[in-house]
Amino acid sequence: MNESIKEQLESTFKAVVVNILEDSRIVVDVKKEQVLTVLKFLKDRNFDHLALVSCVDWIEEKEFELVYILTGYMQGEKEYTGQERLHLIVKTRISRQSPQFETVTGIFQNAEPYEREIHELFGVKFEGHKRLTPLFLERDYEIPPFRKDFDTRQYVQDVFDKIPFVENNDK
Amino acid sequence: MDRNQITKWLKAPAKMANKYSLHAIYFCTGCGIIEVPPVITARWDAERFGIIPVATPRQANLFLITGYVSVKTLKAIIRTYEQMLEPKYTVGFGSCPINGGMYWDSYNTIKHLDKYIPIDGWIAGCMPRPEAIFIAVTHLWTLIEKGMANGYVRYKENYEFYRKNQEMALGKLDWPALYQINSDSKAVEYE
Amino acid sequence: MENMVVKITQIILSPILALIVGVFFLGLARKIMARIHWRYGPPLIQPVIDMIRLFYQKSVSHGRMFDLGIILSLAGSIVVVLFLPFGQICPLAGSGGLLVILYIMLLAPLGLALSAGQGANPNISIGISRKFILTLGYEAPLLLVLLSVMTHYKTISIMEVVNIQQRTGWSIISFPLFLSGLAYFLILPAILGIRPFDMTSATQEISSGPMVEYGGKYLALTVLEHALVLFISIALFVNLFLGGAGNIVSFFMKMLVVFVLCLCINAVFPRFRIEQAIKYLWKWPTLLAFLGLITTIAIRS
Repeated sequence: MNESIKEQLESTFKAVVVNILEDSRIVVDVKKEQVLTVLKFLKDRNFDHLALVSCVDWIEEKEFELVYILTGYMQGEKEYTGQERLHLIVKTRISRQSPQFETVTGIFQNAEPYEREIHELFGVKFEGHKRLTPLFLERDYEIPPFRKDFDTRQYVQDVFDKIPFVENNDK
Repeated sequence: MDRNQITKWLKAPAKMANKYSLHAIYFCTGCGIIEVPPVITARWDAERFGIIPVATPRQANLFLITGYVSVKTLKAIIRTYEQMLEPKYTVGFGSCPINGGMYWDSYNTIKHLDKYIPIDGWIAGCMPRPEAIFIAVTHLWTLIEKGMANGYVRYKENYEFYRKNQEMALGKLDWPALYQINSDSKAVEYE
Repeated sequence: MENMVVKITQIILSPILALIVGVFFLGLARKIMARIHWRYGPPLIQPVIDMIRLFYQKSVSHGRMFDLGIILSLAGSIVVVLFLPFGQICPLAGSGGLLVILYIMLLAPLGLALSAGQGANPNISIGISRKFILTLGYEAPLLLVLLSVMTHYKTISIMEVVNIQQRTGWSIISFPLFLSGLAYFLILPAILGIRPFDMTSATQEISSGPMVEYGGKYLALTVLEHALVLFISIALFVNLFLGGAGNIVSFFMKMLVVFVLCLCINAVFPRFRIEQAIKYLWKWPTLLAFLGLITTIAIRS
């Protein structure tokens, strides 16, 4: 099964690198222009559950890596049983200087909160996303807090430690 | 109930009733809340001390903050605290509200809860055992009897500074002040 | 003149007695529930301690109706108490009877709804709507039950019903009326607002419903009101079906037995949803009560 998916992907798309990690996990490295077509291709082949969208900050290479984890429950007509269910990990790299990418909410609607989260914590702007409003954070941050160059200790010293004690403070 | 207690009841019924009828509202932040179900159910049975959980801050007079406080949670905590009716007591549970605990340098977690609302007592530990809640309650009884559990009085007196701290952490607050702040920095109650 | 003094004393004493019994029942309920859970439980006077604390606490009002509604509700319950015989004590035995009780019993939920409606909390409106739907649910079988009792004894005075039962035996073991008695017992948890029917003040889903904005003195008044409702609905059952009683002590013992039975129901049942409650209330108790009414009419005429 995983061999056939690998062959299908490599024969359909040109610059796609497919590695089979274990029996059930396949890593697909794609160029950022191809992501939407690859996801659409996979969705048509029963990988119809987007389990997670994640982001990795490669600060030395000045790149963000977006990770889409896909899985499916049906193998043709019958359901997968136990271990043989496949997980496809689609990875792509985008520039760190101007972090912009296209939204995949057109293909997988449940990507919406994941993309909002990545926008909030990494500052990646998703074009075409309808609701890129704050999700978790209450304060404004100059550098989005999950980037590697965000110094949490310095931030805490500058913000929370500056707030004085109301009582029993040693004046 | 011995004779000593009866004279206490006759002398200061309000104090005694406050002691033995602590209706608690548990603020379910973080991991501390998992210690509360054994406390209120059959294993440790807090009800024999008159402690029962209630659903709304209006009915409660004990506020138990169990676990780390993120900035967004702080907003809810302040609003809950201000809705409670006086006299009210607050207890911070676990090391996170005391000084940040393992969230000591987190970008979105406040470190010292007593900068924002007054705290009458702390239960240290990560996690404290359920018995620690009972130790805290007996300490709170002593404090109430001596009139030292006066967090709500201190909140009224220092409301200006508490409000300023809250605004420093949360930005502009979108609810009205609980007490009016006068020019001579003494809080006056709103009618 | 002497008669007048006795009457006034009765009018003053009977609500106080009802309150004491109701609050005692509240404490007993907490203790018995704790023992069923294998806990030690609070002291019996815990509701009194809570009440003292609440009366000393500061309270927040949400408007004029918020104050008046709860007093209306409490006053309605106190007036109902005056019409109920408690042993042989019944201050207003001569007037009204069952019909008046039917009307005034509605004042308690109505006043609570008027009062709670002043708060802007959405949980309140959910709680009130559930309360009224539940009232609608149990009023239909209750009316049928009371009608069959009135038809059977050919009177509307509760005192008379009690006196006839003192001569001829309890009506719950007499033939046509045991159906009605069973129906009343089946709807009793709904009237009391205990476990299968406590969706009006469900703490977990709608944070105690209409009570969500009550604190301090207001909450204490609602607790008193609840105690009175406990007293009224159980006392009505005892008077109509368990033969009332010649003296206060045996009356109280009968109430205690009924209340502990209700507590056992409270301990073992989960909570109904509101539409399940209506489905239940309009099915079995109504059917039984209707059957009881028809048999009573057939036998009596």
